[in-house]
Order: sequence, then C-alpha cells, then structure tokens
Amino acid sequence: MMVISCVGCARLMPDTPTDKEESDYVGTVTVIYNDEPFDNENIKVTFIPGADGETASIKIHKIRFVPKMPVTIDVTVPGVSTSSEGSKTVLSCERSIPLAMGGEYPKYTVTDLSGEIAGDELTFSLNFGEYPTSFKGRLNNK
Amino acid sequence: MLTAFLLSILYMVSPVCDTLLPPATVTALKESVSLERVASPFSLIHGETLQKTGTYRHNMLSGKVPGLHIPEYGASLTSTVYLRGLGSRMENPVMGLYLDGIPVWDKNAYDFDWEGIRCATLLRGPQGTLYGRNSMGGVLALQSLSPSDGSGHTLRLEYGSANSLRAGVVSSFGRHVISATFRHSDGFFPNEFKDEPCDPYDGISAHWKWEGDPAGDLILGNTLWVNYSKEGGFAYGQWIDGELHPVSYNDEGSYRRLSVIEGLNARWSNDALAADAAASVQILSDDMHMDQDYTSASVFTLGQRQLSGAGTLELRLRRNDTQSAWQPQTGLFALYKQNHMTAPVTFKRDGIERLILYNANSHIPTDIGYLEIPDARIPVDSDFQIYTWNIALFHESVFTVGDWQFTAGLRFDYEGGRMDYDCLASLHYRFVPTMSADKPFSIPYTGREGHAGSEILPKLSALYKATGALSLYSTIAKGYRAGGFNTQIFSDILQNLTMNSLMEDMGVYLDRPIVSVSADDTEYDPESAWNFEAGARLRKDNLHAELSAYCIDVRNQQLTVFPPGMSTGRMMTNAGHSRSAGVEAEIDWRPGDFRGCLSCSWCDARFVHYQDGNHDYSGHHIPYVPGYTLFAGAGYSFRLDGLTIDADLSARGAGPVWWNEDNTLQEPFLLRLDSRVALVFPKWELYVRGENLTDTPGRSFYFKSVGNEFFARIRPRAIFTGMTIKF
Repeated sequence: MMVISCVGCARLMPDTPTDKEESDYVGTVTVIYNDEPFDNENIKVTFIPGADGETASIKIHKIRFVPKMPVTIDVTVPGVSTSSEGSKTVLSCERSIPLAMGGEYPKYTVTDLSGEIAGDELTFSLNFGEYPTSFKGRLNNK
Repeated sequence: MLTAFLLSILYMVSPVCDTLLPPATVTALKESVSLERVASPFSLIHGETLQKTGTYRHNMLSGKVPGLHIPEYGASLTSTVYLRGLGSRMENPVMGLYLDGIPVWDKNAYDFDWEGIRCATLLRGPQGTLYGRNSMGGVLALQSLSPSDGSGHTLRLEYGSANSLRAGVVSSFGRHVISATFRHSDGFFPNEFKDEPCDPYDGISAHWKWEGDPAGDLILGNTLWVNYSKEGGFAYGQWIDGELHPVSYNDEGSYRRLSVIEGLNARWSNDALAADAAASVQILSDDMHMDQDYTSASVFTLGQRQLSGAGTLELRLRRNDTQSAWQPQTGLFALYKQNHMTAPVTFKRDGIERLILYNANSHIPTDIGYLEIPDARIPVDSDFQIYTWNIALFHESVFTVGDWQFTAGLRFDYEGGRMDYDCLASLHYRFVPTMSADKPFSIPYTGREGHAGSEILPKLSALYKATGALSLYSTIAKGYRAGGFNTQIFSDILQNLTMNSLMEDMGVYLDRPIVSVSADDTEYDPESAWNFEAGARLRKDNLHAELSAYCIDVRNQQLTVFPPGMSTGRMMTNAGHSRSAGVEAEIDWRPGDFRGCLSCSWCDARFVHYQDGNHDYSGHHIPYVPGYTLFAGAGYSFRLDGLTIDADLSARGAGPVWWNEDNTLQEPFLLRLDSRVALVFPKWELYVRGENLTDTPGRSFYFKSVGNEFFARIRPRAIFTGMTIKF
C-alpha cells in the first residue's frame, strides 16, 4: 500500500520524496517562550526514515529555544512513528529523549509530537521540555 | 702593531676597501666606482678595529654604524635589524648581508661569529638597484682575509664573565685562508623557575677561502662558511604592573643551527670588458624549542624545525677601463629557495584550560552543559613547504663630467612564493552531561597560498667634488622588502578552527565564532620605499667625516602584530603608509697616537596612515625603532720601548624606543660604557675589555603572548681578558 501510495506521489510530483528517503525541509520553528511565540526562521529540518520502515528521526538544525540563547544547536528527535494515510505520512510520538550535543538530552524531553508530511510540506508540533514548539516548512530541493 | 695601526689609518683614508686589494681578489661590493665616489653614506670598519672593539657578530655593529640598531635578544635566529627607521622583528630583513660577494639569503643565518674578517662595509640607504630585494635599508658587506694579503697565522683566546670563552685561529698559506672560532658561554640570565642559566651558548664557525688565477684573464675565488651553534636563549621576563620580573618559565627554550654557505666567484676580463659571476648554494638546518607562554604554567610550547636550501646566481658585465667617463654595469640575478618547516605547537594542561576550554565554555550557557577535554596535551602539527624564487635584471651607469658624477640605475625584479601547509590538531572531548564517553576528534587544515609580482627599482644620484677633500651628493632611490607567509599565526588559526569545528561536531553553533585571524592573513605583501637623500663627505688628512640627511616614504610597511585577546601567535601585516626622516653623522679622527670617533643618528619614523580596524595609529612612532643612536669612542696608544699600551673608552647608546603601536610603552635613551686596555708587543698582545661597565639596566625587546607582556633585558656588565698571538 505504501509503495503504491509513494509511486502515486512520485507520478504527481516528481521532486517529492517518499517517506523512505531522507529529505530536508526549510521553514519556521516557533517556540512558545513566556507565553509569546518566538520564531526561528529559515530553519532546516531533516526527516530521516528508520531502517524498520515504521519509525523515523527528525533533526532540527541550529535551533534556538529562547531569544537570548547565545548559541544554536542541532536537536534530533528519534523514535517518531510514521504511518501512511492516503498520500500523507502521519508522524506521532508520545515521548522521546532528544539527542543533542553528542548524546541524550533529557532536559528537553519531547512529548506529544504530532505532524504530517503532505506533498512537499512538513508540519509538526511538540513540546521540548516546557517549551511548546511547532514547525512548518517546505521541501528543500537544493 | 704599528704596521697594523698604519694599515688601519690607510684603510680609513683610502678610497675604498676593495681598492686596496690586489688584482687577484674578488671583492664583496658591486659598485662600478670606488666607495668614495658612491653617492650613499657608508661606514667602513677594518678587521683590526673589529677585533679591538670586540665586534665579532653583526649585532655588535649597533650604533657603531649610524642609525643601525640590532638588539640582542632571543637566539641566533632572531637577527632583527633596524636601520633608518626601517625593519621589523620577523621575516625579511631590511639590510642585505654579503659574505665575500655572496648574498646570505636566510636572515636566520645572519648571526654568526666572525673570524678572519678583513673589513666590514655598510652602505646605507636603498641599494635595490644593484643588490635587489631586502636591501632597502642598506647592505652590509663582509670581506674576509685574502690569500694575497700574505701568509701568516693568528691565534686568539678570550675568557670572561659568565664563564665565556672565545678561541679563534686564522691561517693564511698559499692560495688558502682558513679561519675558525669557537665560543662558549654559560649565559648571562638565570631562569629562576629552573634554577639554571637561560641562555648558554656553544658555537663554532669555520671559513675556508681559496683564490687563484688559472688563466691570465680569469680569477676564481671560492668561499665556504660553516657554522654550528647550540644554545639556550629567549630570556624574557614578564612585565606586571610596571615591574619587570626575572626570567621564569618551565618548558624548554633552545636553538640549534647548522648553516653552510658555499660560494664561487669568478672574474673574467680583457682590455674592454670585465665580467663577474657569483654563484652559491646555501643550506640551513635548525631546530628551535620555545616555551611560548614564558611563564611557569604549562600553557603551550612551540617547536620549529627548518631545512632550507637556496641557490643563487649572478652575472655582471661592466667596462674594464675604470678611467672612462662612462661606467656601465649590467647584471642578471636568479634565486631559488625551498624551505621545509615543521612547527608543532603543543597545548599543555594549563593551556587547554585557559585557552581552549575557557574560550569555548564562556560561550555555552551553563544550563546546557559544558565541554571537557581530558587530554594532558593537544598536539597541533604544522608542516610547511615554502618556495621562493626571484629573477632580476639590472643596469647602472655612472657618468663623470668634470667634478660631477651622475648615476642612473634601474632594476626589474620578478619574484614569487608559494606555501603548502598541512596542519592537524587532535584531541578527545566530552560534553557534560550529554556524552557518556570521550570522543576522539581531529581537524585537518591544508591548503596552498601563493603570490607573484614584479618591482621596478630606479635610482638617480649626483655627486659633486667640491674640493679635493669635500664631496657633496644626493640620491633618489627605491628599495623593497619581499612579501611572504605568516607561518607563526597558524597556531592561532588552528586553535580557533579546532574550537569552532569541535562545537559544530557536537551540533553547537556560536553566534560569534571564535575568530582572530583567518587563512587570508597568512600572506603579506612586499614593502617598498622611496629614499631621498643628501650628504657631504670629508676626507682631510687623518679626518674622515660624513653627514647625511634622508627622508624615506614607505608603503605597505611590514609590521609584526599580535592578534587581539588570548592569542598565541604573531603575524606580519602591511601597516599602510609610514615615513622616516633622519640625520646621520660619522667622524673618525686619528692624529698621531690618538684616535677618536663619533657615530650618531636622529630618526623620526612614524605611521602616516595606519588603521588596524580598531585603532588609528596615524602619527605614532613606529615600534622598536630608536629615535637616536650614538657611539663615541676615544683611545690613545702609549708607545714604550718594545711595548705599546692601548687604552680605549667608548659609550654606546640607543633610544628612545617605543614598544607598541599605541606608544604607551617607551624605553628611554640608554647609554652604556665599554672600555679596553691592551699591552701590545710585536707578535702578541694581552688585553682586558669591559662591556656595559656601569651595569646600566635596560630592555632590548618587548612582546605579548597570551595577553601577557614580556621584556628582554640588555646584557649586564661583562669583563673579558684575552690574548692574540701572530706568527
């Protein structure tokens, strides 16, 4: 079913990857900080399918959680479940310890991740520790 | 001795050193006319005077030649020459050095012990037309004794302060002259941390010269200079809150060097033409170790090992009739040099904490974590292959019209350089709390930099013989100092690159990456200067006097700078535009048994425009250049039956010296007193001589490392006694 779905996608949009391909998206990450939205624009997010075909990792590049943070960091959310619904790939994860700075980073444990890949668009929302975070971006073909 | 004295007078009043030489001698200088007719000021010091004043290294000429300042610090490779406000403490010199007509191509080989030197001549002002690159301040030509001076043997032995021993021998026989000198010193500056002398020295220099005329119209000369030294050095004390502390550092400071210069001179002539050829092969192998932070902490060390080889060839053609009104000279010069340098920097535990971890962790919020490096030391290996080449075509014509003499010259230089660098930093790191184990990390840094360019060096001069004793002259000439590569800044580049790459390896990106310098800073451009000069030369009986005034306009001034902050390297930069103006005077008077001399200079060298991006230094004095130099000496020979007593006293001074671009640190004018008393017998002499008799304290060098300031002190009082035997 997944193969048929992907083939269908490929016929409609030749540049759209299947959910078994690693692909980069560029868009805006919004972090709710002190009840105010804080936008990280032009952020690259890499969708990395797992070998089991059922899970994936999402790597968010150079994100800043609070405006005054003097560094940006790469954060990877492993163990994200993937499933196909029609032409969409649905993403979900109840709880995951992200990887950052060379190892697990439990301080920013991810909860309530939900999202989807539809066409060339990736959207998801999650909580990074105490920070509600969302992403919306388009496939980066470069 | 009387003969020697008369000879010395003869030297002083003679037109030129080389005109005294017999026809079979190949000379050190290239001028078409005698030195007396050269429209540049020159200082000529004959061998006997060099011996009597304890001048056996080039830095001992400081002050004796007006405007010349060669501070003694570091080790034998240092050889920083300042002349007429020109010069910088690193890389290419502003004064060319010629040994029997062979150019010494590596400044690291300038400082060696002399023995068997017949005379030292220093031509001041840009000599670019005939001598090319790196002679924009002047040229020092050493002429060694020739076999045609006659057979004979000389032994010298000297012992003195700091357990210093100097022994020398000169032997002239047949067509050969062989000389050798050995010097040992325990050192003058203690390293308090190690409780041992900081600057011991052992060195030997040897020279072989052969001259012959296998055919009537062909003269050949071979000159071989070899010197080896093993020494300490780098006697730098820290400057804290206006107080200079003793030398106290924990890591090795040493320098070993082997230098070989083999030169072949040939002169062919017929009735119309004379052709000179000079070819040389020069090899330098050295090994330096330095405690780069110069403190008792284990911050970082530098090693530098070089193996360089150079070949030079020069061909010159000129008219053989020296009485002709037109004296043209045309020449071709070529050089190729290759230098393999390894310069490993090792960051030790204190350096890892202060320079690397502190830098990195100060950028990381504490609630995220911190970086840890468990290594006891981090090696940063650097390997350089540096190639230099130069080819030049030059012409100079001298026209004599009555009492006037006009000189016009032009030189075209094309030169280039290439540096291949291959660096690698290796370490282990762990980010706490996210990483449970150390991770190996290495960062290679390789690349190539290169440059090539041409220089045109014109010269115009006029000399007017006002009377039989007085000549007036004026010269306009251009000189240049070659560009090059900043190998000493790679430790900074690697340190910053390692930190940034390591952070990126963890997925952490600093908003303001740690950057002080980049690969673009590893090259610097040639420096060029226009020199405008006027002077007067007086030769009257036993009075020899010269007065000259100059103004030099310098573009792309090469300046040694320290990158801001906790930097570990230093680099040459082109500091915009500067100018140097000054007056030099030299008097030598020898009536009867009295001798007196005075050499003095005033120099005002300033930046016309120098903005380093943070500060405007326009109008400031150029660092390290003394405002005045002075040498004043007087002596008398008391002649008794079969014995002469020579008594000489001299004062030598330099300053003020501004140590930094801000001109906030200054060394005042320092005067030191030297003297010598000798009992001279027909075949031998005994003497006692003293240097810095008043034990005047002073500083000879300033630099910064890792944000700290350091000075080198001038040598304390030293007394030597010695003897010379001739047979």
